Amino acid sequence: MQAIHGIDKLPALQSPKIIRMTTPFTSNKSSNQNPILRADDLACVRGDMVLFENLSFDLSQRRCLHVIGANGSGKTSLLRIICGLNSAENGNVIYDGTLLGRSETARAEMAYIGHKDGLKNELTAIENLRFQQRLEGLSDENHLDDCLAQLKILRCADLPAQSLSFGQRRRLAFARLLLSPKRVWVLDEPFTGIDTQGRSLIESICVQHLESDGAIIMTHHQSLDASSISPFKDELILNESGHHE
Amino acid sequence: MSTLILYFHREWLLMFRNTGALVQPLVFFVIIALLFPFSLPAEVNLLQSIGGGVIWVAAVLATLLSLESMFHADYQDGTLEQAVIHQRNLPAAMLGKVIAHWTATGLFLSLFSPVLCITFNIPVDQFWVLFVGLLLGTPSLTLIGAIGAALTVTLRRGGVLIAVIILPLYIPILIFGAGMISQSEQGLETISQVYTLAAILTLSLTLAPFAIAGALKATIN
Repeated sequence: MQAIHGIDKLPALQSPKIIRMTTPFTSNKSSNQNPILRADDLACVRGDMVLFENLSFDLSQRRCLHVIGANGSGKTSLLRIICGLNSAENGNVIYDGTLLGRSETARAEMAYIGHKDGLKNELTAIENLRFQQRLEGLSDENHLDDCLAQLKILRCADLPAQSLSFGQRRRLAFARLLLSPKRVWVLDEPFTGIDTQGRSLIESICVQHLESDGAIIMTHHQSLDASSISPFKDELILNESGHHE
Repeated sequence: MSTLILYFHREWLLMFRNTGALVQPLVFFVIIALLFPFSLPAEVNLLQSIGGGVIWVAAVLATLLSLESMFHADYQDGTLEQAVIHQRNLPAAMLGKVIAHWTATGLFLSLFSPVLCITFNIPVDQFWVLFVGLLLGTPSLTLIGAIGAALTVTLRRGGVLIAVIILPLYIPILIFGAGMISQSEQGLETISQVYTLAAILTLSLTLAPFAIAGALKATIN
């Protein structure tokens, strides 16, 4: 909790902010909004390697936190901890004032796209989306077409996911984000395998999400300065390598 | 409930589009059971007396064979991660998946068991005893086995470990299931075995989905 208290003593930060790990950090400090998501003194250990520790940050709405770090610095582990897939060695993730581990609502408000697409090869593109949509309790067939059209893969709607190219599969995974409104998008290397047109499409849906009071935390190896997400961007830099305990 | 049905429906779709996986346990079951009549002396009484036990062992092995793939594909393609993140109905989702898996393995095996009874020269009036036993026992085999499959989902070759974890838990089901046949052969009542298998099934059906969900959350971590 010391790290969180320390936030109040920090000087006012200008947007975009760049912060290195181990320093308490709040994105969108200038606004008085309560953060959607707060990481409090997180530590992650893999084997006998400490990937990061004392990591605290806030994520407010309309902000995109770009997590930067070398391979093996714990970026993916951090994202998996945030969406509850992995547990942290220490610290908590607090969503809207509730501990993430105890809040089913928090998980329902989060969308995660990791290295794996989360698609069934044997099902067609639209069947994959339909399954997700029904799980959310929705049943608007036209919306499925809209989601595919927005990602420019409507012509692949009836093709099995296994016959789609890597980039088309990634686009289909992103179409899942459009099915129902989720406040926090957790994106792990979202632009990997995506062509230029696809990247600008994904950037545009990210911007739409941010403008509608959502928040994003993402990893990406290249700078987002030239992207349309740039005005919403904060940076969190993880150490280049962890250290042994 | 809708989550359960959605997952059940999706699993059936997946199995029908991958028919190799669908018929594999049934073929394995038939092959194991058929090898015994060929390899044993051609004595009618011997085949009759061991027939029920052999069919039960074949059902256990066929179920075991199919378990490794139950969650592995979901783990590989990331759909399991998505299910765990939105874990509000994870036990119901996994129950839907396991029931679908059982209908493609245990239910088929049960329905096919009368054919195997003929090869062992088991009297026709005992067909139903074996059928009811398998119908009550195989869902428990799948539910309990799914816990082992969930615990080993991240391992590349988890099949052997599943067998080590799960086979001891299968023994009571095997004893009561195969016991039904021998009781019936001696003209004794088999209702106590039916009740016991039904009780094991009720217990598995109630507790296994939560154990599977817990195991998946722990192993994916």
